[in-house]
Amino acid sequence: MTPTSIKLLLGGILVLLFTTKELLAQTLSVTGEVKTPLTLTASDLHALERTEVTAKDRDGKEHRYAGVALTAILRKAGATLGGELRGENLSKYLIAKAGDGYEVLFSLAEVDAEFSGRTILVADSVDGAPLPQGVGPFRLVIPDEKRPARWIRELKSLEIRFAK
Amino acid sequence: MRYFPLLTALVIFLSSFWITKRELHPYKLEYPTSFGRRFTIPDDNSTTEEGVALGRMLFYEPLLSSTNTVACASCHKQANAFSDDRQLSIGVSGKPTRRNSMSLVNLLWVKNLFWDGRANGLENQAVFPLAHPDEMGQSLEASAKKLAKTRRYPSLFQRVFGISSITGEHITKALAQFERTLISANSPYDRSLKGETTLSAAEQRGRELFMRGPAPERGVRGGNCAHCHGGAKLMQEVFHNNGLDSIAVADRGRQEITSDGLDNGRFRVVTLRNIALTAPYMHDGRFASLEQVLDHYNEHFHFSPNLSHELRISHNEPTGQRLGLTSSEKKDIIAFLRTLTDSTFITNPAFSNPFETKK
Repeated sequence: MTPTSIKLLLGGILVLLFTTKELLAQTLSVTGEVKTPLTLTASDLHALERTEVTAKDRDGKEHRYAGVALTAILRKAGATLGGELRGENLSKYLIAKAGDGYEVLFSLAEVDAEFSGRTILVADSVDGAPLPQGVGPFRLVIPDEKRPARWIRELKSLEIRFAK
Repeated sequence: MRYFPLLTALVIFLSSFWITKRELHPYKLEYPTSFGRRFTIPDDNSTTEEGVALGRMLFYEPLLSSTNTVACASCHKQANAFSDDRQLSIGVSGKPTRRNSMSLVNLLWVKNLFWDGRANGLENQAVFPLAHPDEMGQSLEASAKKLAKTRRYPSLFQRVFGISSITGEHITKALAQFERTLISANSPYDRSLKGETTLSAAEQRGRELFMRGPAPERGVRGGNCAHCHGGAKLMQEVFHNNGLDSIAVADRGRQEITSDGLDNGRFRVVTLRNIALTAPYMHDGRFASLEQVLDHYNEHFHFSPNLSHELRISHNEPTGQRLGLTSSEKKDIIAFLRTLTDSTFITNPAFSNPFETKK
């Protein structure tokens, strides 16, 4: 091996270590109008009921995403879902925020599977592999939307608020 | 009690005088409806004509520096859209600052200021450059004391804030009021949106490349600039790693604030309004020209581990690794960027040095 290729290899290993370490350290927080605020690690997510969906990403191809239904995470935090999603609780909304600061909004009703009949996934793997850096460790996947602009990469936090 | 009516009249006269003295005029912030109202002005610092005028004076006031020679405006020059034409700025110590001075424009809509987003709100932001030993190098308390000794300022602070002695908090409040008025929305690009002018053929081609993401499989070419620098204000409040270094070591950017490794080398995505006036570019001012900036995004960026996803996936050639625009396409984009220069912003007398108005 030439010195240059050794340098490249070492550099590659360094970047890989950096990447793995940082991805493992990431958490997903659930805050706001919930009974129990949560800070979930990747292994916490693995301990919850797993769900899979198949959906088309921006590349136009079908992918198999695995993770936990957003509803299951919100229920664990004690958000007002299902039978409780009535009256003033219908004026609640969810802000999902990414690591870079990008944020998008959902009404609480549209993310509740029981209310809207749709499954939104907090994915941690795609086609059997963990989500890569820049995408993971967590990503929102919304299979029935035509544009993936709310498929937040590097999902960091979910906050439920009341519209005031 | 002969004098009672007279005394009453006197009291009424004096109290009305006192009231008018404290009566402030709300400042009307004007901006296109497309900019939206996604901003918050602190309840205890509403924007008034009088507060803005005081803030403007303070912005140009060298007494706020330890040497009485440096004002905010020294490194945020109106001619450069309130940025510095130096790579790094020089303050009271003579030592260059760590980062390139940011353009002060449309800050009304920015929540977390600086290249790394460390300060929440303009009132808190102002504390940093005022006190930093390589910028203005003077504590707020010292500034307040200096201003208290002038003939000009005590009555102005009294008028705006109803306070008998100047405090550091009120200095930053007045500065923030002035900064909220620095709104730029009258570039040739803005006028073209209103149908008041037309862009040239090159500018129009550049606009399309700027706004569009590439899709070589469908024969669509684009620079995908608007993905991050888009929207009516040509900014989003996000922090990205744009591949300036393979791993950011000397300046870790947002990571220094959040301690999150994924934030390594992430910096604010700046607004591109007046971008032709704010050279040099990037947080360290490493690029002298827009040509160099375009070359970076098109040909040179590093594949850092947390490189912005959009840079990683935007290719004009099916087998390309980077953007792959042609040199004439890059020229067109630069032609478009020059249409974002708002000459009325940099010549607006309301933003100029108030101590030089009698020229």
